[in-house]
Amino acid sequence: MNKYLFIFFCFFMLSCANESDPAADKSNFVRIYDSDLYNASFNPIDMQQTPDGGYLFLGSRRLKESNFSGAYLMKVDELGAFVSEQLVDEEYLNPVGDLLFLNGKYYFFCMKAVSFQTQLVEVDTEGAIIEVYNVGGSYPTAAAVDGSNFILLSYDNTSKESEVSIINETGGILQTAGYSVGAGDAVQEPIINHFLRTGRQFPFQVGKTSGGRYFFNGFYNYTFSLVFTDLGTGGLGVVQGQQDDGGISRVVQLSGDTYATARFNFGDNYFLPKASLNSSGISSSTDLGGFPLPELVKNAPVKILVSKINEKDVILYASNTKSGQIGIYVYEQSTGDFLGSKYLGFSNPFEVTSIINTADEGIAIGATTYVTGRFPRITLFKLSSDELSTIF
Amino acid sequence: MRRPLLLLAFLILCNTLYAQSLRKPPAGFKNKAKQQQSSFLDKQWWIGLKVGPNLTKATPETRYSVLTPTNYELPLTDKKYDGFKKLGSQATLEITFDYKGIGFSFQPTYRLSRYTYTNEFMWDNPENAVEVLQLKYNHELKVDYADFPFIIKYDITGNTLRPYIQAGVFYSLLVNASKTVEISGTDYASGGTNELQSEPIIVGAKDLLHKSYWGLMAGAGLHYSLGNVRLVFDASYRIGMSNVTDTKNRFTNDRLSGIGDALDDMKTDNIVLSIGCLFPMRFLSTSFKSIDR
Repeated sequence: MNKYLFIFFCFFMLSCANESDPAADKSNFVRIYDSDLYNASFNPIDMQQTPDGGYLFLGSRRLKESNFSGAYLMKVDELGAFVSEQLVDEEYLNPVGDLLFLNGKYYFFCMKAVSFQTQLVEVDTEGAIIEVYNVGGSYPTAAAVDGSNFILLSYDNTSKESEVSIINETGGILQTAGYSVGAGDAVQEPIINHFLRTGRQFPFQVGKTSGGRYFFNGFYNYTFSLVFTDLGTGGLGVVQGQQDDGGISRVVQLSGDTYATARFNFGDNYFLPKASLNSSGISSSTDLGGFPLPELVKNAPVKILVSKINEKDVILYASNTKSGQIGIYVYEQSTGDFLGSKYLGFSNPFEVTSIINTADEGIAIGATTYVTGRFPRITLFKLSSDELSTIF
Repeated sequence: MRRPLLLLAFLILCNTLYAQSLRKPPAGFKNKAKQQQSSFLDKQWWIGLKVGPNLTKATPETRYSVLTPTNYELPLTDKKYDGFKKLGSQATLEITFDYKGIGFSFQPTYRLSRYTYTNEFMWDNPENAVEVLQLKYNHELKVDYADFPFIIKYDITGNTLRPYIQAGVFYSLLVNASKTVEISGTDYASGGTNELQSEPIIVGAKDLLHKSYWGLMAGAGLHYSLGNVRLVFDASYRIGMSNVTDTKNRFTNDRLSGIGDALDDMKTDNIVLSIGCLFPMRFLSTSFKSIDR
């Protein structure tokens, strides 16, 4: 009898057991990083998960004395708890993503006040600045890692060229190539407005394909285009947009000429989870078709992540909905078929800025929210693999 | 011959009857009967209904917040809990087995509990005193539980009016929950003193709470015997012994996360008051009065 009572008591206790769960706390959370300064404004640009399981954010912040945004670094721990921040000296403006990880350190590009020369900033895993290297050139717009070097897309306002440069980890320019955006001030206006944040934010991107060709998504020949190049005399592959009203929003190579991409066209947005892009000739983004997403904001920023959910290789698209949420759309990588969706955020508006895979097979999403509907603040969504598995 | 035999038989019968009338019952015969009655009435089943109000206090164990300060102290985001402020209610079916003044009671209860907490935030600009926004978030949780308490009662003394004390353990199953958030505040930056009051945000909160918890309880009460029924007034204090928040679903409600709210790990205590009446389930006869006991 006592044995049965003991078993009953154990069952009773276990069914109520619900104490603090550090594993759950790490795998699933939402954090909004708030400053109590009324006029402060923080927007994330990119983030990386650090080896200790925490997260390092590169962000921008409003400056009183400049029309450009300042640089901001923030480190949080694996639970999302705030660890430290760096209000980077106002001498360094216009930080751009990606936040680059190379040889155990983090890097980002920005430009120096007054001279507008491009700078390469080296950061440790805690977000402390180790060194700043002068790169030269001007108006950086996007960057990526290329082996042991970096690829930088920038805009040269003197020669009116989009420039792709290969830069080593001490800021030395190893190779550079320029591509004319076209003559006249009209084509330059949206670019400058992008930098001053007084106009549309263009989805500049730069990278390298598995075939060894470089690509950039930027202005070329009067049009916002996706350009494939070998940085030499070889021919270009150009996926043209519609001047500054259409083009590619984001592109990720899956294999060969197959890409997961998204495009915008006069405010409309289309997802193409399995698109074949012509990397050697001239084509038009409007001919690519795609799945229309009328719930997204006009010319929506799109982030694409190749990941694995429920043991299935998938492509995640994240973008901003008109209702102020972040929409996550999941497609099967092999077929491009839609699998499911999930929406994050409510009450106050949320805007996605980055999406990464995490070490625990979940994902993390960096976003901007507007606390009380007015203060831009950095937000971190951490979704566990269990929660992702409920999408489909 | 027949007549004397009949007479003899009559005399024997009369003698026997007389002898029986004079014979004392065996020692203890009446006591035994009384004991049998007493033994029967030492045990009694009572069944009845009780209803009444309850008050709830939540005590945070580990604090959580979506809003994470970067330039002010983390404790400023702590929720301030109001103890025993909001009235809830419950209905109880009581089944009690009494044995010599000690009762073993099972009291399944449907209980609605309410408790509240608040957060306050302020944003200002040290360089411009006008740029100030103060907001207060008033949160109220309404939670329905099915309680299964097992209680031991002890009648202290008395006959018609019997005070008793009780102690026990309970197991509570979550049935339903909702949460209401009202946001109010003052905006000084809009050119004047702008009093803000938002429409309440009402969300289902069942997923945010753990499906069950357990606790200990102690209390006291009064039985008043009225005919065959007992009127009962009962007061108890319940101490929650396990966390009521679902640790895995803390951040899953987008509407609450969006306004910076996440439930703390917490335990809840209740003050439960009840009145009701109990009916005996065992009778000696239709004329039996429980007041006899």
